Amino acid sequence: MNNVVVETKNLVKTFGDIKALNGLSFTVTQGEIFGLIGPNGAGKTTTLRILATLIKPSSGYAKIFGYDVEKNPSEVRRIISYLPEEAGAYKNLSGFEYFEFMANFYHQSPQEGRAAVEEAAKISGLGERLKDRVKTYSKGMNRRLLLARALMMKPKLAILDEPTSGLDVVHAFHVRRIIQEYTKTHGVTVLLSSHNMLEVEFLCNQVALVNEGKVISQGSPHELKSHYSVNNLEDVFMEATKLG
Amino acid sequence: MVKGLSNLISKEIKELLRDPKILLGMVLMPLITFPLMGAAMNISTSTLEESTRNVSVMIMNLDKGPLAESLLLILQSMNATIIETGSSTVEDALVDLSQNNTTTLVVIPQGFSQNLTLGLRAKIIVYSVFESLSLAEGIRSSAVEVPINLYKNALVTQAIRQAFPDRDPLAVLDPISISNVAVVKGKIVNVSSDILRSLFMSQSLGFPLVIMLLLISAMQIAATSISIEKEEKTLETLLTVPISRLGILTGKLAGSVVVAAAGAIASMVGVNYYINSFNEMIPTQNISLEDLGLSMTPLSYGLLGVMIFVTIVSALALAIIVAAFSENVRSAQALVGPLNFIFIFPSLILMFADIQMLPYPIQIVLYAIPYTHSIIATKAAFLGDYFTMLVSIAYVSAFTIAVLYIAARIFTTEKIVTARISFKKLKIRKP
Repeated sequence: MNNVVVETKNLVKTFGDIKALNGLSFTVTQGEIFGLIGPNGAGKTTTLRILATLIKPSSGYAKIFGYDVEKNPSEVRRIISYLPEEAGAYKNLSGFEYFEFMANFYHQSPQEGRAAVEEAAKISGLGERLKDRVKTYSKGMNRRLLLARALMMKPKLAILDEPTSGLDVVHAFHVRRIIQEYTKTHGVTVLLSSHNMLEVEFLCNQVALVNEGKVISQGSPHELKSHYSVNNLEDVFMEATKLG
Repeated sequence: MVKGLSNLISKEIKELLRDPKILLGMVLMPLITFPLMGAAMNISTSTLEESTRNVSVMIMNLDKGPLAESLLLILQSMNATIIETGSSTVEDALVDLSQNNTTTLVVIPQGFSQNLTLGLRAKIIVYSVFESLSLAEGIRSSAVEVPINLYKNALVTQAIRQAFPDRDPLAVLDPISISNVAVVKGKIVNVSSDILRSLFMSQSLGFPLVIMLLLISAMQIAATSISIEKEEKTLETLLTVPISRLGILTGKLAGSVVVAAAGAIASMVGVNYYINSFNEMIPTQNISLEDLGLSMTPLSYGLLGVMIFVTIVSALALAIIVAAFSENVRSAQALVGPLNFIFIFPSLILMFADIQMLPYPIQIVLYAIPYTHSIIATKAAFLGDYFTMLVSIAYVSAFTIAVLYIAARIFTTEKIVTARISFKKLKIRKP
């Protein structure tokens, strides 16, 4: 399995008395757009935060390109980028300044940095508005800015938590198109979480259904629909969790 | 690491200085407020001086004798407008006083001259009208006492001369002359201790005030800087980029130090203007701290700089620890607010008192508070007391290292992301 990007095994995470993850395991292979879907509190964000090296698992392990996220967080941070749910950018910086600030952490030469900023400007599609301060941006523009930031350094793995959450149709469409095009063009692997089953069905090659801190089913959208003999992922989810 | 750090510091400074609240509160406010306070102080002082200069006094001379007339002449020689009333009762005179917009009535009762001539005690009654209970009214009412006392002295001198023609009346009246000579740092200074006290007061008020303001502002900046990142979730993004957590903490501290330093300079400029306004009011006979040998040496400046730096760093680290547990800017400021007490308490006490004069329990509490030492060190800097400065620096540095260690521990664990203080439940909760 040389092309394994993400491997989690029996991940458990507790916060006091709350067990957010309860033996969660899944694998993501290179070039995939992998979707974690599940209800609120299922453990999606906790899983992504562990993979992004923000928090540590209570037990079990998670590896990215073979690096254990707990033991080698610095190595992991060099190859991933993380987009938190409903995140913001620095309001008093312009869009360009924000890109420059983030690019400087990754690139050694000014030329590389400039190229990354140009790439980000292209991905975001925000044009001249990038000269304005971030505080003047709408929610949709802000999300496009952040997604461009997450992809501009061509990470090996992009971890996107609810990338289209709260966006209108136009901005959500733009964000989905960016993710699709970018993975196709640059071979970036994407791990995303979403509430939106239709979006996941449209975007992802592989899907893991998460409920109560565990993966209850995994496969391509087509495989899952066939397995549960239903027409869409929403029905797959209801069948798998027996919530319906 | 260095590149990442300079990147972070530059971003921090840009972000903080572009925030109108910080720019206004940290830099512009001290530059505007202190000079305004000084100007207000000058205006009220000038008004006070003006009001004492233009005193008008109403005289009700019921005596009409020669000695009453000579008293009137002395009263007229003072810088005051004298109005004689023809009223024969105090009630009528007070009405007259009000109509003439005058607030002082001097009544010379009948028999004043006769009593003095016979060697008996004479009496003068001074009525002062108080309406606004202002300082100016108090000064106006006492203004008339100066010429009356002069007149009394003249009478006493005359009586002594008659009784002891061979003796100096002053030697009889005041046989021992007391001369106050101040000795400052072994140097004899021929000024009265009252004047020196005024000079020290103006200095000792200023420094604790500046340090207190500086630390309060620095803490607000650091707490805001962390809590904005938490509120906007930019901290989550920052914690996943290839820079160490300690690098992020250092960047935050350094950015806040630079902005706090801008605030400190603005405060110093403002306070300097304010203190000068004080000095203009106090007759210091052109005496400065330099004349008294109390100017700072380069070593004092250096040590004071180190002291202020470690103090600011500890305050910033303390604010970062507190803000790490906040959910947003508002809760961070609410959490940091009560900490201001540890700056305000020693500052207010040491503005007016010497720590060694205080009761032991209060001394122990004050010495335990690290920020007391920054004020003690500031005073020691003027006295060239390097030992006290070094002890203070050592104590505050030890405290700073401890606080930085805790801040670093929080930053290197997941607590920076997960810990929140919930005001509803008043306990730390996890997401």
